[in-house]
Amino acid sequence: MQQKLESPPSPTAFEELATRCGVRRITTVRDELRREAGRTLERPLRQAAAVAVLRNPWLGEGPESDLGPATERIAPLLGKILSDRLVEALGGVGRIEAFGKAALVGLDGELEHAGALIHTPYFGNIVRELLEGTSVLCFADGRAEPGTDLRVPLWHKTHATSRKHYQTMEVHLPDAPRADEICVIAAASDGPRPFPRIGDRSTDRPITTEILEGLLP
Amino acid sequence: MNIRKITTLTEEITSEGGRPVDPPARVVVVAAVIENPWKGQGFVEDLTEGIDAVASDLGAELAPRVMEALGTELEAYGKAAIVGLDGEVEHGSALIHTLKFGNHFRDAAQATTLLPAVEKRAAAGAVFDIPLKHFTDATIRSHHQTLEVRVADAPHPDEILVALAAAAQGRPQQRLAPLSTEA
Repeated sequence: MQQKLESPPSPTAFEELATRCGVRRITTVRDELRREAGRTLERPLRQAAAVAVLRNPWLGEGPESDLGPATERIAPLLGKILSDRLVEALGGVGRIEAFGKAALVGLDGELEHAGALIHTPYFGNIVRELLEGTSVLCFADGRAEPGTDLRVPLWHKTHATSRKHYQTMEVHLPDAPRADEICVIAAASDGPRPFPRIGDRSTDRPITTEILEGLLP
Repeated sequence: MNIRKITTLTEEITSEGGRPVDPPARVVVVAAVIENPWKGQGFVEDLTEGIDAVASDLGAELAPRVMEALGTELEAYGKAAIVGLDGEVEHGSALIHTLKFGNHFRDAAQATTLLPAVEKRAAAGAVFDIPLKHFTDATIRSHHQTLEVRVADAPHPDEILVALAAAAQGRPQQRLAPLSTEA
């Protein structure tokens, strides 16, 4: 007689749901920068990144496959578990000023697989709402071997043109993404770069290629 | 003590070997990047002054942070000192291999064993592995594990990166026979 398969108990947390969707690890990194250029910062700059490493749900499917169903199932969970970790790492959503995102697909996947998990509202809208932002999320994506380092770009969560908030955070991924995996990253910071002093759109004078004229004899 | 940067890394492992890890395994590290207290002094024969100036304060700064990041009972721990290119490995060892540094962590964790350590000299952004062992019995094989760490722009040549690592459990899916079965 065939044994009846027991269905797993209902999930009690988004992390558990994410695990069932193939997430094997969640890594959170927080950098607190206290000194820059030999001076102590009045307010340390804190940056955080949260990384989910998961099985690529589209392996071997080819470029005709519809990425929609798995994206709709997985991306909101990733947005939720990663945003929660950023809020905790930076001490509350009210402290978060800048944000960004990234995805790296392993060597057996398509670039489009990385894009699918971060470039749709199923991820972006969740992160934006949970981090109380309105800006488009700036991003980095690519395909890579495990053990790679990735710079995740950040900009202001409600004023994307705030130049002093343009910054990046470097994330090291020890054993990911394996060939059949994808790393999805959300990042945030609680302030501008240290000692920002390169002006802003409001202070720039009009610059064109005319300024190149006369530089060479 | 001039701390330039403090990096906190939290790993939550929810699956290993294709099987769920429930509850998720939790391993954390807190790394402080400080100015080398012997910077620019040439070969210093007696390191006591620098040790007294830094080691205890550094242990007191890092221990509560690593316990907070772990957020639960500690079962394994370890430490690291990565010395920037202008310093000696002995400078890193001087800071972490003293009771006045390690006891802050041992007391906070109610631990009794020696902290396993990695010490090396390296360029900024070097990858290093911190060894962790059980906090009361270093022969407990299930808890031998390591954590890979990289801090992007540290240590500078005149800096030292000092880190503490903690785990809430042994390796995920650990299933080796205990040492005693091989005696």
